[in-house]
Amino acid sequence: MIPLVKEVSEDNLVSSIKDWLAGGQLRRLTFVTSLDGKQLAVLLLDPLSGAAELWFTPLKGNSYKSLTLSFASCHWFERAVWDMFGLEPIGHPRLKHLLLHESYEANYYPLRANDLLCQATENDRCYKFLEVKGEGVYEIPVGPIHAGIIEPGHFRFSCFGENILNLEIRLGYLHRGIEKKLTEVDWKKARFVAEAAASDTAVANALAHAIAVESICEIDVPPLADALRTIALELERLSMHIIDVGGMAADIGFLGVSSSMSRLRGKSLEIAQALSGNRFMRGFVTPGGVSLYRAEEIGGIRANLKELANELKPVLNLFRENQTAIERMASIGVISKALVEDFGIVGVAARATDVAYDTRQYFRQGLYPEFAPNVTVADSGDILARTLVRMGEIDTSIKVIDRVLDSLDGNSCSVELPKKLRADMVGLGVVEAFRGELIHLMCTDSSGKIKRYAIKDPSQNNWTALSIAIRNNLIADFPLCNKSFSLSYGGNDL
Amino acid sequence: MESTARGLPKLTDSPCRGTSCNRCAEICPTNAINVFGSGDTTKVALDLGSCIGCSLCIDNCPTETIRENRSTELAVRRREHLLLINDHAVEKEFSKEEESPKTNPFGMSLSARVVSTGCSACDLEIGAAGNPIFDMERFGVRVVASPRHADALLVTGPVGKGMQMPLKRCYEAMTEPKSVVAVGTCAISGGVHKGSYTEANGVDSVLPVDVYIPGCPPHPWSIIDGVLKAMGKKR
Repeated sequence: MIPLVKEVSEDNLVSSIKDWLAGGQLRRLTFVTSLDGKQLAVLLLDPLSGAAELWFTPLKGNSYKSLTLSFASCHWFERAVWDMFGLEPIGHPRLKHLLLHESYEANYYPLRANDLLCQATENDRCYKFLEVKGEGVYEIPVGPIHAGIIEPGHFRFSCFGENILNLEIRLGYLHRGIEKKLTEVDWKKARFVAEAAASDTAVANALAHAIAVESICEIDVPPLADALRTIALELERLSMHIIDVGGMAADIGFLGVSSSMSRLRGKSLEIAQALSGNRFMRGFVTPGGVSLYRAEEIGGIRANLKELANELKPVLNLFRENQTAIERMASIGVISKALVEDFGIVGVAARATDVAYDTRQYFRQGLYPEFAPNVTVADSGDILARTLVRMGEIDTSIKVIDRVLDSLDGNSCSVELPKKLRADMVGLGVVEAFRGELIHLMCTDSSGKIKRYAIKDPSQNNWTALSIAIRNNLIADFPLCNKSFSLSYGGNDL
Repeated sequence: MESTARGLPKLTDSPCRGTSCNRCAEICPTNAINVFGSGDTTKVALDLGSCIGCSLCIDNCPTETIRENRSTELAVRRREHLLLINDHAVEKEFSKEEESPKTNPFGMSLSARVVSTGCSACDLEIGAAGNPIFDMERFGVRVVASPRHADALLVTGPVGKGMQMPLKRCYEAMTEPKSVVAVGTCAISGGVHKGSYTEANGVDSVLPVDVYIPGCPPHPWSIIDGVLKAMGKKR
């Protein structure tokens, strides 16, 4: 997809965005970033028309009036822009470093093209947690290294008794410099870096990257490639939803279900491996189509999928119908529809509050939107709702894969890429990853090199939801609540 | 390894066309391949510690000098043993040097602590190694929640600047004797992140590593193989 590129002056930016958002239903301000520190770039999506607009706002200095004051969903992105470009959002209510910690030199901005126009005021990279004061209030620090096998991040709970008054989440430990690396490597090898942004989302990341490249090159992939991409995307969703539902069962102590789910996830990974040679389907989706496709495996895949569906059914039903499990999950970790709308929450968490936003309905990715299944929603916004949405999506993913397997047609599964990318272009890939709306934005310079590559992972929206959902709940509910959001640390830290 | 899985590459005796072809080196996303010399003295050097298993080199080698390796027994004790050269003399010298650890305190069972510093694929595969299919626990391997309880530290990911201090502190909190296992290509060399400003160049640059498990991510069987090597149960 090629977004409409427009220049908007700094003074008019907020009012223009407000007007634009009011101009149609479901319109979204997805994220704020910059190309090289000389401007702000705002990406706006209009799902109903399937269109996107990228607005550039030239900046005179290294600060601007914070957009967070008008659009709450920008708060996390403005922190990232501050770290990566040194652009300070004046008036930001919680301006703290997100990605670069104390171990980085002060005033080091990895994505900035030139030095700062004037010296930054305060930048010792130290991090101050919000202090909750009062008699009997105490803090529990957790992480960055957690007890289980999980990515690192730091949680600071302020508690009164067993109640959590506030949770502050500090991330950035996994920052690997992906966005910069993507501008440094040869663009034909960039897919391997894009995929490594979050490898539990390897297919969705590879697909968003591929769509961005293909839109710049103006090429269409063969129908067979689109079909295989759809299968891969849904297989990834299936595997990850299975492990997440299994994780919920484990955290409740429902170990029969959790063991079965971890075994069944192994089955879905076997299907993924039969399709692509790799359990995570890494290297499968490439710009121009798919690689490593083996047609002789399709028969086996169909049979195994059927078996998996049959085996999943009783396990999921056992979990769904268990009254103890339902009571453990109901009314805990609730987020409201208003929060989802204000903070731009996406994916399962949004659909669990009756917000039926699913990019597969609107944006071209694989065989979507033609093949888009009905959106699974629930309305209570709690842990139970998120689990039920995941279970519903397990069913729809299996149905979609089944349908696509029946309609595989043709032999060619990739097209040749041009030698060079087109100059001065902007390409965009929007994909519904299993966590929600994933966006890859790619800009080329006058010689066709990638000059800026930005990734918006669904977790960057949703971390806020977790810290608000857990307020006024028991500390013992946190693991369950955390699992129900199933957020990515790596995808956020990049 | 299951028949449908793509393995990592290996080198064969089949003569390579040398720098006149050079396709494998050009196409490799992590510059893990080096072709040098010409004619009869042509050599291919392949660093499995940088390889992310994309299999492009295997598919693009016209002389079958680079082939698929179906084995999951890939873990080694020394970093240089992951550097393959298609010259038998060198390989033999390596295998002679391969030795079991001097002391073998973890012979019967091992408590492992997992620290992730990467994209989560390796973490999921360590998790999978413990599931009912692979069942790592039947070899006496447990994953524990505290460094105080751990004999071995399994590290995944390239260890960027943000995780270097927490990782060191985790290691220091473990009691002797202890060992470190680098799980996956990122943990060995930085993988696709190598040379980034975040100094994400692998565990080696922060801690002494005892066992290296290549793969991106390594298959659960490979992880079990590597942990058994760390226990001294396998050579």
